[in-house]
Amino acid sequence: MRDASLESAFARRDASAYEAAYHAFGPRMRTAALRVLRDADAARECVQDVFLHLWRSGSTYSAERGSLEAFLVVCTRNRALTRVRSENRARETARRIDVPEGYTMEEDPIERERVQRALTRLTEGQADVVRRAYYDGLTLAEVAADLAIPIGTVKGRLSVALRALRSELAVEGADGP
Amino acid sequence: MDREFHIDDSAELYAVGALDERERAEVDAHVAECPECLRRLGEAEETVLALERVNIAEPADRSVSVMPIRPRGFAAWWLAVAAAAAFILGFVVPHGTPRSGDATLAMIGSHFSHAQFTGKGPAAKVIYARDRSWYYVIVAGGGRYEVYGIGNGRDVDLGSTQPQGATSELFARVATPFGRIELRANGAAIETAAIR
Repeated sequence: MRDASLESAFARRDASAYEAAYHAFGPRMRTAALRVLRDADAARECVQDVFLHLWRSGSTYSAERGSLEAFLVVCTRNRALTRVRSENRARETARRIDVPEGYTMEEDPIERERVQRALTRLTEGQADVVRRAYYDGLTLAEVAADLAIPIGTVKGRLSVALRALRSELAVEGADGP
Repeated sequence: MDREFHIDDSAELYAVGALDERERAEVDAHVAECPECLRRLGEAEETVLALERVNIAEPADRSVSVMPIRPRGFAAWWLAVAAAAAFILGFVVPHGTPRSGDATLAMIGSHFSHAQFTGKGPAAKVIYARDRSWYYVIVAGGGRYEVYGIGNGRDVDLGSTQPQGATSELFARVATPFGRIELRANGAAIETAAIR
């Protein structure tokens, strides 16, 4: 459920909204960072860096963009991936990890199943690139090398896969209870 | 990225983390001007959020050290970090700024609050330690303003705000607490924030 007042206050760079967003989305952001960085301290620092960067540079967020949670999670992933890549640790991130205890998010099992079902409807080629680019945090070049396909093909498959997922989730949402 | 060409597949690549910083900056610049692409990017981000909710990871690598999530007292860390960053990066050199790393860490760990300035000047706020040992003033726009601490019948000159992109800022660590922080332009008070 989106909080319109929080989202508009965050877009206005309101200090209280930053604090509220940290409370509401911090755990999810830490989980996203941890998935990439594999280090609890680094994940926490990464989340702090995201808020600090948005505060100092002026956030590009607006409610028209979509949910604040999605925006912050993507910011966090991008920052974590940038850090990993700059440290030339991309190979390390290829070993996936479970989310350690203490960081696991409370999830609606129905929502979770809905997303998993949508994932299974991707083609094998689409699922391959999503798995590597998203869950393994590989760069496009690394995914291309892994699958022995051109980088342009990786880009195309990834975009189509995400759009397909979006369509699946929209349809399921419309059909749901 | 030209306004005419739209971001196309870059929306999904941005959201999934497949673009580098330069490419992301191009997308950010484009969506700032293009509502259609902004919506498309937002949709891609929502899809990534859905993926984030599904953990398809392999068995845990327990070699990872795990720290417990901090309690509420750590909530507004980012404000203190912003203040610390101003100090660490030398954006401002206020009166009495701490010189040691220990002092900075102590500052980060302290509790703090914030207050809006009211008056005829630009939008501004002050973030401050609850023990009133430091103040971090942020003013919208790129102007320079004199900052004074008012308390116990004294006006203490804390220095001037320094432009930092879209804002002008000052960090000041002080020995005595204040009841108000005042912004002045050419010596005349334009805004005041009550410190509670």
